Amino acid sequence: MLEIKDLHATVGGKEILKGITLTINAGEIHAVMGPNGAGKSTLSYVLAGRSGYEVTSGSVTYKGEDLLALSPDERACKGIFLAFQYPVEIPGVASATFMKTAYNARQKYRGEQEVDAMEFLKLVRVKTKELGIKDEMLKRAVNVGFSGGEKKRNEVLQMALLEPDLMLLDETDSGLDIDALKIAADGINRLRSPERAGLIITHYQRLLDYIIPDFVHVLADGRIVKSGDKSLALELEEKGYAEMSAA
Amino acid sequence: MNTLTPLAQDYLSRFDTAIGSLPGHQSSLVTTARQTARDIFARQDFPNKRVEEWRFTNLASLTKGIGDDIAEVPSASASIETPHVMTFVNGRFDAGKSSLDGLPDGIRLTSLAAELDAGNDSLINNSADHRAVVALNTAFMEDGYVLDVAANITLDQPLRVRFVSASGSVQNARHMRNIIRLGDGSSLTLLEEHTAEDGHSYFANPMTDITLEDGANFRHYKLQDENLVAYHLANTDCLLKDNATYENFSLAVGAKLSRNELTTTIVGAGATSILNGAYLMRGQQHSDTTTVTNHLVPENDSRQVYKGVLDDDSRGVFQGKIHIAENAQQVSGDQLSKALLLSDRATMACKPELQIYADDVKCSHGATSGELDEDALFYLQSRGIDAVTARKMLIEAFLADAMDEISDEAVKVYFSGIATAWLQKA
Repeated sequence: MLEIKDLHATVGGKEILKGITLTINAGEIHAVMGPNGAGKSTLSYVLAGRSGYEVTSGSVTYKGEDLLALSPDERACKGIFLAFQYPVEIPGVASATFMKTAYNARQKYRGEQEVDAMEFLKLVRVKTKELGIKDEMLKRAVNVGFSGGEKKRNEVLQMALLEPDLMLLDETDSGLDIDALKIAADGINRLRSPERAGLIITHYQRLLDYIIPDFVHVLADGRIVKSGDKSLALELEEKGYAEMSAA
Repeated sequence: MNTLTPLAQDYLSRFDTAIGSLPGHQSSLVTTARQTARDIFARQDFPNKRVEEWRFTNLASLTKGIGDDIAEVPSASASIETPHVMTFVNGRFDAGKSSLDGLPDGIRLTSLAAELDAGNDSLINNSADHRAVVALNTAFMEDGYVLDVAANITLDQPLRVRFVSASGSVQNARHMRNIIRLGDGSSLTLLEEHTAEDGHSYFANPMTDITLEDGANFRHYKLQDENLVAYHLANTDCLLKDNATYENFSLAVGAKLSRNELTTTIVGAGATSILNGAYLMRGQQHSDTTTVTNHLVPENDSRQVYKGVLDDDSRGVFQGKIHIAENAQQVSGDQLSKALLLSDRATMACKPELQIYADDVKCSHGATSGELDEDALFYLQSRGIDAVTARKMLIEAFLADAMDEISDEAVKVYFSGIATAWLQKA
């Protein structure tokens, strides 16, 4: 599904990603772990298409297509979803309006029927119930005045609604207490399927107790320095990044 | 002595002839008022950039004489249905395009020209207003609406007054004088629209004089959608007595150069002055919002929220003065001006001014101008929303908290529709 080859990227002229190679097949969940500043978030932003993140060499192929040639919205419509580490507050835009616009944008892009407000409400209520989110949240402006947990839960809600093929989860566990973490992980696990893939970016092993990855990679200084299965995460937790990176 | 600008010279040379045919010429009171105003204007000319209050708005392109530029005639982008409409075409009341039948007892909506010609000259107060643009209006006022509401009258549906520019002669000017008085405890909504059905340039100079008696509640909404080669210099003065409420919302999308100057003077306890507005400018348009709020007695409130969206080479100006007199304790005055710059070339000038002579007051002012939030834009795009739609959503969101202040639901929908249509043209 996703093939990253020798990816180099700079931010503000500084090279952050220094040759990443990673293949993610449908049905697989990969976790990328690493210390602060290793380039974890940069990787997720490059994949989602944020401006200011310049790819200097290498390639990213998504479902056989050059991902880097697509705009962020095209990537989303083709099934990539980035759950933000810091979801953005957008005053003046109601959550329901935002999600309906996003849902219909994808429907339109795929040549499928757009839904009206009533139909959308039905769709979203199924998901809010599953995730234990109060409907009242839909009326509030996007992420404005949300607690850290509510923001992350809102990310999972959007993901559940948009049903992406490739989930990019950037530090989804940060700022969550254990109950919120369970609910978020539950929502993500619900989306796991043989057709879907996921890339979990995380600093701590904690999230991986709830979302069991198929592969774990250690990112340090812009490169993947070690890959393995889920036991690598436990090893990391024990030894710390410094030792692993030096290895 | 400096020579007068060509446009001022033109006005002054025509004054003596014009005065004999302008409405109210039979009345010595009106004639004296016109002559006094003419002299004030002749001494000052149009304001230039050396006049502090006009530092950011340069009238040179108007005062050298309106050119023969022709603008595209905008098509109506939204509509509103109201039972009562009064229409002025090229500055004159047009009975055929108006429907004023069935107004409730106690509400009189008439033409100023008709009132003056009928000898009702007490409408014009002869105070020698020092503002040049107002003086020019007084000297040449030709028509306008007179709204007189008796005590304790409530009308839910908005009254609508349309000023339409419909003919093409260069040097068109429309000096409209509107007079509004709401009696004790009356409550009413008025929607005032300035539009064009023709592309020639003209100079609209409306002056509106409002008096709100005790407990009156007046919702005054204004749409400025002049054609894009027109000039629009508007003055609105409002006097608020005890417990009166004045709510003004001005939406400006039109004119090459416009200034909306609002002066509210609060002389009553418990009174509230609410001035809000939005201006959406592109191309070479210039929009100036100037407010003066005078709190002259204790225990009353004022608040203001203005939002501007500036694209291309457009310019925005916001000047807001809050004056609180020495004895005017327990007064609150809040003011907020925010501008969104959609282009590197668009500019915004902002001048908040607080003159506070009382010591027990609560005042705030804030002014920001900035670009669209890149993080928010990326967030929306990352959910599949294309860049153009995402920008529109953010601009509408930016305008929303000003638009939400419009308490009349029909007008809110109408104005939001106009803003949305403006965004579609981008």
